[in-house]
Amino acid sequence: SVEKDVPVPSPTKVDLTCKLDENSNLKNPEVTWKKGSEIIPHISKTPNSWTIQLTISDKYHLGSYTCILKGEKEVSAVFHLQVPKIEGKEKPVITYEGDKAVMVCKTDYNAKTWTWHMTNGTELVPIVKILHADKFQIMSPSAGVSRLEILKLTKEDGGVYWCEAEFDLGTSKTRFELRVLSIAGPLKPFIAIVTEVVILVTAIVLYEVYSKRKQKGREKEFDQIEQL
Amino acid sequence: PAPAEAGRAPGPPDGGWGWMVLLGAFLSIGFAYAFPKGLAIFFKEIQGFFGTSYSEVAWVSSIMLATTYGAGPISSILVNRYGSRPVVMFGGLLCGVGMISAAFCTSILQLYICVGFITGFGLALNLQPSVIIIGKYFLKRRPIANGLAMAGSPVMLCTLAPLNQFLFENFGWRGSFLILGAILLNCCVAGALFRPIGAHTALVKTPVTEEGKDALKGKITEDGPTENKPEEEGGKDCFEKINQYLDFSLFKHRGFLIYLIGNVLMFLGFFAPIVFLAPYAKHTGIDEYSAAFLLSILAVVDMVARPTTGIIANSKWVRPRIQYFFSFAIAFNGACHLLCPLASSYSGLVVYSSFFGLAFGMVCAMLFETLMDLVGAARFTSAVGLVTIAECCTILLGPPIGGILIDTFGDYKYMFIKCGAVMVLAGTFLFIMNYYNYRMLAKEEKERKTKEEDPKSVRTEDESKKNWNKDSTQDGPELEPLREKGEGVKKEMNG
Repeated sequence: SVEKDVPVPSPTKVDLTCKLDENSNLKNPEVTWKKGSEIIPHISKTPNSWTIQLTISDKYHLGSYTCILKGEKEVSAVFHLQVPKIEGKEKPVITYEGDKAVMVCKTDYNAKTWTWHMTNGTELVPIVKILHADKFQIMSPSAGVSRLEILKLTKEDGGVYWCEAEFDLGTSKTRFELRVLSIAGPLKPFIAIVTEVVILVTAIVLYEVYSKRKQKGREKEFDQIEQL
Repeated sequence: PAPAEAGRAPGPPDGGWGWMVLLGAFLSIGFAYAFPKGLAIFFKEIQGFFGTSYSEVAWVSSIMLATTYGAGPISSILVNRYGSRPVVMFGGLLCGVGMISAAFCTSILQLYICVGFITGFGLALNLQPSVIIIGKYFLKRRPIANGLAMAGSPVMLCTLAPLNQFLFENFGWRGSFLILGAILLNCCVAGALFRPIGAHTALVKTPVTEEGKDALKGKITEDGPTENKPEEEGGKDCFEKINQYLDFSLFKHRGFLIYLIGNVLMFLGFFAPIVFLAPYAKHTGIDEYSAAFLLSILAVVDMVARPTTGIIANSKWVRPRIQYFFSFAIAFNGACHLLCPLASSYSGLVVYSSFFGLAFGMVCAMLFETLMDLVGAARFTSAVGLVTIAECCTILLGPPIGGILIDTFGDYKYMFIKCGAVMVLAGTFLFIMNYYNYRMLAKEEKERKTKEEDPKSVRTEDESKKNWNKDSTQDGPELEPLREKGEGVKKEMNG
């Protein structure tokens, strides 16, 4: 069946329409709109589209709304009305000791407030910037973006962080994984490659010196043969 | 005592150590072209880290590209003075230093300097000398050598893209830059392979007569640095000194001017379609991975097209008329772009990508070969520097103009039409002007031959030297294969 996410940042009126494709085999189906088990009457109907109108004013009005078309076979489409999703970084954020870590949390809509938590074992500890001003900095360059900066990183700062955005009708969370590496990490492949370069350059130069000497030796022989 | 071995010093080896030089050039050219493109993977993270806009980060790439092309003349001057090897090794060191210091940058401005200028300059010191030294090691097989060396670019891009992704996921952007700095040091290995070649290695130490000395001197001006000429001409002023290292007299060279105008025009539409191919595909509703796959198809076809074009360009039918082949490749490229808006489905875009990859590879494979063909190996060093700094402007303008067209009309097709039209125009211009150039050269060759056979012409040492110089400066297409035939005919007449 067909699914669609509908983000609802604030209370609003929403029209949901199910349209039947003209080439479909289904003719004159019986259409019902449902939320869970509750049936919703549609307000407008055309030969192949059915619409309902909803007033979303609190979080109980959010959820999955389905339109079911019954004929020889049954097809349905689902609309997920939900709080807007926020976007973080799925892959781990890699940083280094002594450096700063930046985690950026984004949404396409305007959030009312942003909160960050760090995990200490299994509990969620909120990050309050006033208390730890020299270690954590939380900034919101625009209503849809929040930045957490962690300064003077140490290995213990690694772990899971949560970003939470509050909208009118609910909250949305996303997760970040922070990994703090020491400089030794990339240094090993670095030294390996530099060693390889030095070895190759030396080998090439030595080979050249060797082949030049061989050539000079051959030329000397040639001159000597000529003089004879 | 043995008679004067007054023949010409041996010409380019066309093989032997030349293949190792080719390997080095392959690496060097690959890094120079592919490295800036491969950096794009890091931009999103860097943008988030420094809190800048995406275009501010994209400037890193633009500065790098501008420096690599803009520093061309400096590269040429250095190669004219010191030869390819030290320049490339120094360039490799610069690249390494640039990226290593970039790993410790604390602002976007510092990134502009470390990645943009320093690494960009290092890549410039890699690109030009690599192309130049191919001309010194290859003559008969030069188109193949050029095609193979230029194939380094797509191969390196296909290697760097997944490598950068892997480095980024494991070491973040700082660690990746550190490791990439080490990887760029391999350009020094490429440079080590660039064994110097020229009159210095090929002089035969036997007693020579005056004429023999002329012939040898003439050959020296063809192969080695152009320092021997001014010796007899007395005091030099500052302009002559610069001219000694960067040959500005090229601007009077007919073939060079044709190439310059045609190429500067072509680059206006050359790179924009690649930049916008994936966004265009996504715009028509194709998903991100399929859109990226189009670029992969382009790269693979490109990889095969370059050496293949080199082989075709080397064949005896095409080589004397290589300028026509080049003009055709450019026009073909333009035609692809003009037809692209007609491709509406994914399979249509796949076909477009394949043909685009083919056309792109053909043009790139012959890009430097045709310039060498027009000005000769000796003046190529200066020519390539002057050409790249001129192309620098249009290369940088191309994608932004395309972007403006897309934003203004909200439709990608005008960008494709603009690129296609510009390239078809450039191809046609080059075709017509090279037809004219070939005819003028044939005429001059005929005049030169009638003058040589004239027994009444008084030959002083200076005059014969002047003739040699005229030959090496106005010698248009390397008519070596044709000239041998001519000399063969002459021998028959005299013998």
